[in-house]
Amino acid sequence: MSDRRLLACGALALSVVMVVAACGGTTPVPSTGSGSPVSGTAGASAPASPVAPQVLVYANPTTFPDLDPSTGFSNDSAVVSNVYETLTRYAPPGSTPQVQPLLATSWSTSADGLTWTFRLRPDVKFHDGTPVNAAAVKYSIERTQKLGQGAAFIWDPVKTITAVDDLTVEFTLSYQAPLDLIASSGYGAWIMSPAATEGKDNGWFNAGHDAGSGPYMIDSYEKDQRAILKRFDGYWGGWRPGQFDTVILKVVEDATARQQMIQSGEADYTYTIPTENLPALKSDPSVKVVANPAYQNLLILLNTAKVPTKDVLVRQALSAAFPYQTVIDSTMAGYATQARGTVPASLIDGADQVPQYSYDLDKAKLLLAQAGYPNGGLPLTLTYTAGDTVEQQAAELFRAELAKIGVDLQVKAMAWEAQWSLAKGDPTKAQDLFMFYWWPSYATPYDFMFNLFHSEKTPNFNLGYYRNPKYDALIDEANTLLSSDRAKAMAEFVAADTILVNDAAAIFVFDQQNIHVIRADLKGFVDNPAYPHVLFAYEVSR
Amino acid sequence: MALAVRASSLLGPRSRYVLRRSGLAVLVVLGSVTITFLITRLVPSDPAARWAGSRATVEQIAIARERLGLDQPLYVQYTRYLGDLLSGNLGVSFSTKRDIASDLGTLLPATLEPIILATLLAFLVGIPIGVLGAARPGSIFDQVARLVSVVGVSLPTYWLALLLQLLFFKQLNWLPLSGRVSDAIALASPVHPITGFYLLDAVLTGNWTAFGDVALHLVMPTLTLAIYPAGLAIRMTRSAMGDVLAERYVLAARALGIGERQILFRFALRNAILPTITVLGLSFAYSITGALLVEVVFSWPGLGSYTAAAVASLDFPVVVATTLVVTVFYIVVNLIVDLVHALLDPRI
Repeated sequence: MSDRRLLACGALALSVVMVVAACGGTTPVPSTGSGSPVSGTAGASAPASPVAPQVLVYANPTTFPDLDPSTGFSNDSAVVSNVYETLTRYAPPGSTPQVQPLLATSWSTSADGLTWTFRLRPDVKFHDGTPVNAAAVKYSIERTQKLGQGAAFIWDPVKTITAVDDLTVEFTLSYQAPLDLIASSGYGAWIMSPAATEGKDNGWFNAGHDAGSGPYMIDSYEKDQRAILKRFDGYWGGWRPGQFDTVILKVVEDATARQQMIQSGEADYTYTIPTENLPALKSDPSVKVVANPAYQNLLILLNTAKVPTKDVLVRQALSAAFPYQTVIDSTMAGYATQARGTVPASLIDGADQVPQYSYDLDKAKLLLAQAGYPNGGLPLTLTYTAGDTVEQQAAELFRAELAKIGVDLQVKAMAWEAQWSLAKGDPTKAQDLFMFYWWPSYATPYDFMFNLFHSEKTPNFNLGYYRNPKYDALIDEANTLLSSDRAKAMAEFVAADTILVNDAAAIFVFDQQNIHVIRADLKGFVDNPAYPHVLFAYEVSR
Repeated sequence: MALAVRASSLLGPRSRYVLRRSGLAVLVVLGSVTITFLITRLVPSDPAARWAGSRATVEQIAIARERLGLDQPLYVQYTRYLGDLLSGNLGVSFSTKRDIASDLGTLLPATLEPIILATLLAFLVGIPIGVLGAARPGSIFDQVARLVSVVGVSLPTYWLALLLQLLFFKQLNWLPLSGRVSDAIALASPVHPITGFYLLDAVLTGNWTAFGDVALHLVMPTLTLAIYPAGLAIRMTRSAMGDVLAERYVLAARALGIGERQILFRFALRNAILPTITVLGLSFAYSITGALLVEVVFSWPGLGSYTAAAVASLDFPVVVATTLVVTVFYIVVNLIVDLVHALLDPRI
């Protein structure tokens, strides 16, 4: 009896504490004024300091699955990109040169394009104090290659890596490839301290340890909750006033919560806000909605190894029956543009020369009649990733249009892995239409053109089973020219993209836009589509 | 087994009851593990591709298939899985590659903290209201109590969660929107987890700044989770008390001039509280599943958010492991409720 009474008293005490805390405690949520809310409260409870620390808060809609820079291939890049550095950096579109120095200050390639030499920035230190040198570069890339996970395949052309001297690294390739571009990849190209990571597996990284040379260090990491980064005083780039001392990357999966946080000033940067809420955010003077072309598009591969989509006329008819603008308006609230070929327009020079299909049911009908289906009547199956509402709506809208010309489109939602396996199996039993998004591992038209349409013995992503030797030759050559003769390479990519459109190898639906919502007083933010949803905290200030 | 039977014959009826219940519990756990395992293998998907990632190469998927033993026949995979389970190995998450057992070690306290507080709150608020309502049947107090209990039981929790956020965060700005600790505290004086129950950890480490902050963060999730069991407690207590107060011994007590308060709380409640305890115990066990939506709304890094993410991304080992944990939790709490019942009721 007395035990129970004790328990009840304890519980009562707890509840009372909660209520008291709720009523009279410190103000949990700071005012909505400008300036970092967190710095205000932190200043109040931390030991007094003359200047409140500058804190940047990033409300992230997803968790950070893998903080190992060798294997991470997902939204973990939001953290990793601020902590580690690559040899080169892909600058935002329109910059010259496109690939700029970072840990490497200069690079050159041999006449046959098979040897690349990178000169490293001197006097750069990792967070553990050890130097960033040729041996560390060799170690990092070899570690990524050896683990063979995530985006390790980007180093496939690299045969050997040699530390020529302390600050010179030489890569020998087994085939020509734009290594300066590969080295700028946001996945699998990070350089890390050998001293700190030798023998460590991804468990060490995911416990919140880091071994980079970037402007920020991981100070603490609470899985699925937040990563707190503190500035690295020994950063080679130095520090200017107004830059952030602390970066908090919070995991906030609920979109409504993210929107409330950005509007109340509790967060400085977020994304994936439902498009229908964007007008309200646009009229709020305390935030800015930044929309920018992304290197990501939505397409529908058409199975060229199976009747009836084997017939180019049928594929052209399907391309003409797709309601492009309706889909863009209703699923993306206009935050997308009809694609021109398989490469996003902002990633290729001269995209406007690539032709497009326009929505024209009469033309579609005519093409079907020419193909031998005057009354339609052909059953087709389309798969999309279950749970993706944009894909779902696009598929349903397409189905309604096709029904008008007598084509019976079966729309099936499947788990990604399931529809991917189906497509990789016997092509004559696979889906006729396969809808998915594509984005590049590193910023190059070749990533789209090779993965999705280059002939392969056992295709992994060319799951329309498209085969065209002329196309293959064109893009392979363009890829080798990308670093030496960019203009010619781009012209060849445009020519190859035109072939795809004329062959109607896929329905090229739309080029997406990245939509970020930031606080209006955040200065220096430039969205770089090569590093999707990465905020380089070093580049912004308040 | 034979040993257990012989041992049980030496024990009293109550111990035999416990043993039988425990044996049944093991069977239920095994059944649920088997069913979940089979479902995850029957869902049309490719676990190897899931493991290797959505952009994996053909080689990476082949390596994953071999490493996960997915090239083995189903019964081999199953026996291997059971063997791992027995040694406490719940496997590794497909999407994070992290050890699930250690993940659960931090997630379970996070989930249990508001659930335990909510159940205590339901006891402390629901039972007195139920008793007082029964003492004055038909009074305004009784009417209001009934209304509260009906609303409490029928209100969808995720909706209430959103409503509380709108009121206490957006309108009044009294309480933090989401999470377990605010950024300021995480920066200035973070909670150092000992038990994983932050409130307790803050006390153990004497971190009073963090204690207040953690308590504030707990208010909305706790209220959200408390509303259902509180409504239940009011209803159960009210109706059980109604029955008991009509008994003759109550009349006798009144005739003997014993105070009304003592009659209500000492005699009547003692007999009326049993069904309430049972129901609240079950609701406590069940609320671990109800926490799923609540945790998503409050960005609460617990079992619910973890399971929701795993289901959405077909992270099979996590789905199987969390199902196992919830099943075991439910069974254990059920068992405890039965034992408490047996202790309080001399007839069992």
